[in-house]
Amino acid sequence: MTAVPIPLSDLRRRQPRFTGISPGHRACQGCGELLAARLVTEAAGPDVVVANATGCLEVTTTNWPDSAWRVPWIHSLFENTAAVASGIEAALKAQSRSSKVLAFAGDGGTFDIGFQALSGMIERGHNVLYVCYDNEAYMNTGVQRSGSTPVGAATTTSPAGKERLGKRHLKKDILSIIAAHYMPYAATATVAYPADLRHKVRRAIEVEGPTFLLVHSPCPQGWGHDGSRTVEVARLGVQSGLVPLIELERGAVTGVMPIREPRPVADYLKAQARFRHLFADSAEAARELQHLQALAEHNIERYGLSAPGPEAHDSEGADTVRRGGNQWA
Amino acid sequence: MSNKPRITPGGVAQAGAAMAYHTGSWRTQRPTHVHAIAPCHHACPAGEDPQAYLALLDEDRPREAWEALVAANPLPGVTGRVCPHFCESACNRSELDEAVAIHSVERFLGDEALAQGWAYPVDPPAADAPIVAAVGAGPAGLSFAYHALQLGWRARLFDALPEAGGVCRSAIPTYRLPRTVLDGEVERLLSLPGLEFQPHMRFGLDFDLQDLLQDHAGVFLGLGTQRPHPWDIGGAIPADLHNGLDLLKEWLDHGSIPSYRRVAVVGGGNTSVDLARVLKRAGAEHVYLVTHAALPNQGESPGDEMPALAREVAQALEEGVEILTHKGVHRLLLQGERVVGVEITHMKKLPDASGHAVRTAFEGTETVLPVDAVIPAVGEVIDPTGLEALLNGAPYLKTDQDGFAGHALVYAGGDMNGRSGTVTEAIGDGRRAAMALHARVRDVEAYAPLSPIAGWEQINPAYYEPSPRIQETVLPVAKRTGCAEIEPGPSAHQAHREAGRCLSCGMCLACDNCFTLCPDQAVLKSPENLEDGSRYVFDYDYCKGCGLCARECPCGFIQMIDEY
Ligand SMILES: Cc1cc2nc3c(=O)[nH]c(=O)nc-3n(C[C@H](O)[C@H](O)[C@H](O)COP(=O)(O)OP(=O)(O)OC[C@H]3O[C@@H](n4cnc5c(N)ncnc54)[C@H](O)[C@@H]3O)c2cc1C
Ligand SMILES: Cc1ncc(C[n+]2csc(CCOP(=O)(O)OP(=O)(O)O)c2C)c(N)n1
Ligand code: SF4
Ligand code: SF4
Ligand code: SF4
Ligand SMILES: [Mg+2]
Repeated sequence: MTAVPIPLSDLRRRQPRFTGISPGHRACQGCGELLAARLVTEAAGPDVVVANATGCLEVTTTNWPDSAWRVPWIHSLFENTAAVASGIEAALKAQSRSSKVLAFAGDGGTFDIGFQALSGMIERGHNVLYVCYDNEAYMNTGVQRSGSTPVGAATTTSPAGKERLGKRHLKKDILSIIAAHYMPYAATATVAYPADLRHKVRRAIEVEGPTFLLVHSPCPQGWGHDGSRTVEVARLGVQSGLVPLIELERGAVTGVMPIREPRPVADYLKAQARFRHLFADSAEAARELQHLQALAEHNIERYGLSAPGPEAHDSEGADTVRRGGNQWA
Repeated sequence: MSNKPRITPGGVAQAGAAMAYHTGSWRTQRPTHVHAIAPCHHACPAGEDPQAYLALLDEDRPREAWEALVAANPLPGVTGRVCPHFCESACNRSELDEAVAIHSVERFLGDEALAQGWAYPVDPPAADAPIVAAVGAGPAGLSFAYHALQLGWRARLFDALPEAGGVCRSAIPTYRLPRTVLDGEVERLLSLPGLEFQPHMRFGLDFDLQDLLQDHAGVFLGLGTQRPHPWDIGGAIPADLHNGLDLLKEWLDHGSIPSYRRVAVVGGGNTSVDLARVLKRAGAEHVYLVTHAALPNQGESPGDEMPALAREVAQALEEGVEILTHKGVHRLLLQGERVVGVEITHMKKLPDASGHAVRTAFEGTETVLPVDAVIPAVGEVIDPTGLEALLNGAPYLKTDQDGFAGHALVYAGGDMNGRSGTVTEAIGDGRRAAMALHARVRDVEAYAPLSPIAGWEQINPAYYEPSPRIQETVLPVAKRTGCAEIEPGPSAHQAHREAGRCLSCGMCLACDNCFTLCPDQAVLKSPENLEDGSRYVFDYDYCKGCGLCARECPCGFIQMIDEY
């Protein structure tokens, strides 16, 4: 067993990174959402105030009287995070304080129930970074389909069976809706490319005004994959084209992570039980699988994701490791 | 009292209070650091751990890299040039693109050490330390003596010849092993305190096994195989017959070699190939190499391939040596006692009725090849003088894996054991014998088994970028004359770059993946290296055992083990 020169609790205090969310939180083993929130808060640093909607992130980090948060944090309702964040921002402004306000919510709290508050927040131009942790369903209440659940995915309210092959409706194109607000900066990110995620958090914080980040966050429970495969699943999402990593400024695409070698969407789907029925031996299943493949190809065409050649920031190069931890920045 | 309106505080909590709750109790499996053996390390007969020295060079610590290298192999400048690189055939990187050019880095470090005058990291043994004997100062004997010193013994090294080096000096041509390199490494070894070199001492003539055992705490025999295998064609032997190994030795000693217009070399091993190349350099128009086998890697079975190193065969072909595969000399055409040609036939080694492979010539395929000479280079055998009791009539000196020859404290290794046939294996034999002798006399553990192995399935290829292997430069054929080395070797830049291609199989490369990706911050980073060689430590109070870190560790250094 490893001999550590100093007690672990002392070593923990000397880590070369800021801790926004402490361990001891109750998220599931291998939770993608907690990983995402950990990475976002680390990159954002200590000078923030967080408004957090109801959902897994809120519930697992705050088993009263415990809290895992090490930054000022307030629990809003499920539907009004953006409104609460707007209020905090206005109050800080009135006091001439410059802390950045972060609004955190799940996809249910963003695509669906919190949407009008978010739209209002952007329209009023509040200086808030709104982060949506997208695990593609209402997870905290037991995996109900949301406006973000992809077509074909099985949830408890879009089960796969004789009549239907999981969800019938498309995943809402939330980024386009956000972009339609004449948005200064909106981007997508994922836990599979932490360096890219950090870069986008910093960029969003720099912008004076509303910014939006959609972080693809696999959920081992809801998606039906082993907790050890969270990052692998997220990576396959990007490499297949189903999860495009893009940046928009004022609605225009200003950055994409090119895909060096697109992987078949089936590789991504096969890794998750919520898509298992798509591999049944039936014409309907085959058609739905092709549908998802077509959606991925559409993303690649729409955002120009095909890499002209290998480059350092494409889907293969962006996670390259170097001896000595250059990755952590 | 202020009259400001009171706000109900709701639930408040101390920052980070959740740490009081130890999620480690959820765990059924725990991640652990396991330094698994890199395949290159496992494959190296000399016992080198390329992963270790590639990592050090990648960190720009060349001297420490060399020290890690010579911990196992004292002659890296030699092996970096002549070893068939077993390590590279096993390298995991070949699954990704191409194997790491380990031998180039080995050679670079070997040369760098000579250029910089680095001393072996070996402490001198105590003046009264017991002394062991090594007979034969070839790679096997040199390695035995070196490792005995490392283990705290003094060593006495005997050789019949005036100089140490064995076949590396007497027969490997200088165009692929310059004497400056050999001399540099051998002299550095011989001048180690506690080592005594006694040249001009022929075992079996000047002294015998009894003498050795009387004066030493243990004996290692590394006499090699010095006698040409007997050769004749149906009883006929040309009057002016020269043997291949002798010709090579003469060329190396005196720079002289008979000049022929057309010459047939019979064989298929290193001696035949080197001799053919030397004859070509001496101006022969046609040098035929007649072998009953196929070219390396092209045989119908491994036993059907020339035993010479593939790289040497390829270079011989480039230089115009004509290799007649699956052929044999059937008859000598003599004019008087002088050879004027050979009759060759198609020939293969085929099993006879009892299953033994025997050379089989095919009738009706005879062809006459006009030549001025035919030179056998069909292998060498042991010289049994003084070894009769140990050999018991066998053609080789049988030993166990450690080199124990089954007699008192006598060990043996290198070519004479009938298993080894390369410089690298000889070095490994010497090393293992020294460790085994040490373990036996001191009653300690011999050496740890090399397991588990970090195979390709332990590697997460997502985290590595394709990167082409360095292209070694070789002198164009027209410039390959004389004794000058034909491969100039890698530049420092190339060697560093190549070290950076290593995947670090089975050993932490400090990439920070586990530190970055653990959702529970259960991986902490230490400013100093820890006992297991990494800078990371698991905080089992919080680790939930999800296994994410193990899966995303690029090099297989993290393994999940059951808690119960
Ligand atoms: C032409 C040729 C090319 C080769 N090329 C390669 C190559 O490219 N790569 C490779 O890995 N291997 C190569 N080999 C094989 C390699 O050289 C041998 O496997 C290796 O040298 C064996 O080492 P050793 O210590 O067992 O024996 P040797 O190198 O043969 O050394 C034995 C030593 O013992 C001494 N000795 C012998 N008898 C006595 C005695 N009675 N008393 C005292 N001293 C004695 C000898 O003088 C000699 O110094 C080649 C061999 C030949 C012949
Ligand atoms: C107004 C209201 N309706 C319903 C709920 C119950 N509820 C709590 S969390 C949750 C699901 C949250 O889903 P999402 O926003 O996607 O976050 P996740 O848990 O998936 O991270 C629901 C439906 C609630 N708290 N408030
Ligand atoms: S990649 Fe490196 S550690 Fe792995 S087998 Fe090759 S040289 Fe050895
Ligand atoms: S990722 Fe973290 S929680 Fe999961 S096994 Fe590794 S150390 Fe434990
Ligand atoms: S993930 Fe990286 S830092 Fe962690 S143990 Fe593996 S090689 Fe070392
Ligand atoms: Mg959700």
